[in-house]
Amino acid sequence: MKPTVFLAKRLALCAVTLWILSVIVFLGGQLLPGNVGRAILGPLASAQAVATINHQLGVDRPVLIQYLSWIGHIFEGNLGQSYALQVPVSSLLGPALVNSLKLGGEAFCLVVPISLLGGIWAALRVGKFSDKVITLVGLSVSVMPEFISSIILILIFGIWLKWLPIAATWPEGASAFTQIYYLILPSIPLTLVLFGYIARMARAGMIEALESDYARTATLKGLPGHIVVWRHVMRNAMMPTITVIAAQLGYMIGGLVVVETLFRYQGIGTLIFNAARAKDFPVLEAGVLVIGAVYTIAMLIADFLVTFLNPRLRAQGGE
Amino acid sequence: MSRKKFIESLRRQSTDLENHVIDEYLSGYIDRRQLLRHGSVFGMASVLGGIIGAGAAGSRAYADGKPGGTVRVAITTPAGAIDPILVADSAGGTMLQQTGEYLIIDDPDLKLRPVLATGWKPNVNADIWTFSIRKNVKFQNGQPMTADDVVATFERLSDPKNASNALSVFQGVLSKGGTRKVDDYTVAFHLDAPNGNFPYYVSSDNYNAIILPADYAGDFQKNFMATGPFKLDKYTTNVGASFVRNPDYWGPQALPDRVEFTFYTDQQSQILAMQGRQVDVIAQFSVVGGQALLNNPSVNVISLRSSSTSQIHMRCDMGPFQDKRVRRALALTLDRVGLIKGLFHGTADLGNDSPFAPVFPSTNSSVPQRHQDLAQAKELLQAAGVSPGTSVNLTTEQFLEIPELAVIMQNAAQSVGVTINLKLESQSAYYGNSTFGQSDWLDSQMGITDYAHRGVPNILLAAPLMSNGTWNAAHFKNKDYDSLVGQYVKALDLQSQRDISGKIEALLLDESPVIYPYFYDFLTATVPNLKGVQPNASSLLFLDRASFT
Repeated sequence: MKPTVFLAKRLALCAVTLWILSVIVFLGGQLLPGNVGRAILGPLASAQAVATINHQLGVDRPVLIQYLSWIGHIFEGNLGQSYALQVPVSSLLGPALVNSLKLGGEAFCLVVPISLLGGIWAALRVGKFSDKVITLVGLSVSVMPEFISSIILILIFGIWLKWLPIAATWPEGASAFTQIYYLILPSIPLTLVLFGYIARMARAGMIEALESDYARTATLKGLPGHIVVWRHVMRNAMMPTITVIAAQLGYMIGGLVVVETLFRYQGIGTLIFNAARAKDFPVLEAGVLVIGAVYTIAMLIADFLVTFLNPRLRAQGGE
Repeated sequence: MSRKKFIESLRRQSTDLENHVIDEYLSGYIDRRQLLRHGSVFGMASVLGGIIGAGAAGSRAYADGKPGGTVRVAITTPAGAIDPILVADSAGGTMLQQTGEYLIIDDPDLKLRPVLATGWKPNVNADIWTFSIRKNVKFQNGQPMTADDVVATFERLSDPKNASNALSVFQGVLSKGGTRKVDDYTVAFHLDAPNGNFPYYVSSDNYNAIILPADYAGDFQKNFMATGPFKLDKYTTNVGASFVRNPDYWGPQALPDRVEFTFYTDQQSQILAMQGRQVDVIAQFSVVGGQALLNNPSVNVISLRSSSTSQIHMRCDMGPFQDKRVRRALALTLDRVGLIKGLFHGTADLGNDSPFAPVFPSTNSSVPQRHQDLAQAKELLQAAGVSPGTSVNLTTEQFLEIPELAVIMQNAAQSVGVTINLKLESQSAYYGNSTFGQSDWLDSQMGITDYAHRGVPNILLAAPLMSNGTWNAAHFKNKDYDSLVGQYVKALDLQSQRDISGKIEALLLDESPVIYPYFYDFLTATVPNLKGVQPNASSLLFLDRASFT
């Protein structure tokens, strides 16, 4: 299969995935308790006021009509207006997505090299002291919830040592370096959570590849150790790890509610969480779709990378 | 002029009602503070100043600090748009009030202070209240404020077509068409029924009621255009807001050059921000989760008594709670003094199972306080034929100290043999549609519900307890009670109000449809070198007199 056909097929599948997601989110939103007007006006507002605002927003129409009207606007590029906040959804979603990509990006740049190095190092020294330390530390920190590690980090580096700012929101007009500096502290809890998982996958992949026949053959034909590892072992060892990393991207972009809350950071996770609580469907639906899109794109890139690394898959056109 | 002659001359200028208040003070029935507070309801500020030799309107009479500086405030993220018609949450109310002003402010001691109104008087029946409007006030676009703007503001809030959040407050009190212009600086409120506490309904207690221009187009969030001491610098949804001094303000110029509000989604990050000196004020915090701020020498805590409470209702029309002895028995199981110590570090008043919080001057304190009495509770249960092991269902919301209170209630009931099955829900699931048949709050056999502070008990006496009350989760129906509340609402003088409140308190202690275990304080934290910050229990935060020392 030609790469263009492969890409077109995958993109079509992505579009179907996102459409199914939009239906699920829309219907799921209808199952949330309470109604929109009540969420806006609070529990003690009069029933008449609630009915009036529901009518003004059009949420008293049949669900199918609401869905069609919403999806129609999406195709026109209009994400709608937030029910609760009375501003265009795009004005909320755009900055939040950029913020999330920045935080996710910085955490990604920290966690991926550290975890890969840790995993490879551990695999090359299976059963030795450093392997045990990496495995044990990785497991221990990955079971520590972010709200614990975040508070410990804030207390140590933000309040006692005063090395790093405790809120991740940088001053207006800050340079890229300042932004990176503000994001160091919130990136660490994410690194801690993911380090154990990614390092373990890298370690397992490496061990399997190191024990393989082709690695033994490469060693026996007299290749130096680093060439064996770099050229023969790594390629095969990294494939499952790449898929695992790609699968974590959705979480790193959209699932950081706890970290965003504790570090007072306006990311897409918090935006969606608050929208769900407030029954602010336009924000909720657009937000979930955006995260869904990021996730499917990440998986697409991972598929490409795996295909590129694996000659067998390449020959079959990624099938 | 001698004091006696002075009082005589005041009497001649005063109405019958005002003379009655003066009599209450002179005969010792009310003390100086109560005179100021109660007199303020009738707009007697200028008259009272002469009698007691102090400015009645000057409860915020701080020695002014140095002008300048930026005050940084941590506040919970407002739940929705900053729209004066719709705002329903305390943070949204605080935002409105940074540039917006009310006719009257209900000060922390529940005394009414004139702001955009300079005076107000009821007619004899208390069903028409006439307000004088302050002259020489300008909106921030330079337009002068007149009676037309005041009329338009209240007509907008009382119009059923507007989805106004104030509709529930004005229900049965003020309808559309009731606010009428008398002249350019006089407005008359024609009420649906006599109301002795009406000024509170148009005061800061009703935080939707900031005065907006008559031609207001629904775009407050864009410019925060009103009459206050600050004007908007920048508002970013979900992020924060900053305000600068309004140089054209009608009153004393604000001291800070600038105030910056930063929005937080939880209390913990606000506390961390204060510990890291990134904010100077936490607008409001609760003791649960906020212990780090109490007894902390580097934090100044402002604690205001309030009528905020958590009501424990028991459905009078189903199961064992149909018998009032069972309701009384459960109310007797709670160790209220211990609750206040444990849940609030002592920053709360005892509740006596009626909405009359000790902070209200009209509360009749001669009614005996209910305390824990397990022996009496067991006797009552036995007399009602409730056997040990009887179980009831308590449904409640995940909010502030309520989950802890629910567990304490469960253990207390267990000590007299009643099993409580607990169900904790999110706030939206608990309130549901807030209508009977579609709300766990209103339909549950037993529940715990948070009620925010009010300056007068009127709405707390009516909606949650009257036979036709829209928030009557206890399904309490009692004609005597309804009639007493009717009398209370009409009563103008404090003596009559207290006489009636004594009867209401006794009736509610006997019937006990709702347990009011405590009324907790409103807490604000500031850094110690910041003076002049004035919160009030309705979640307002006045920063115009704030300065760093």
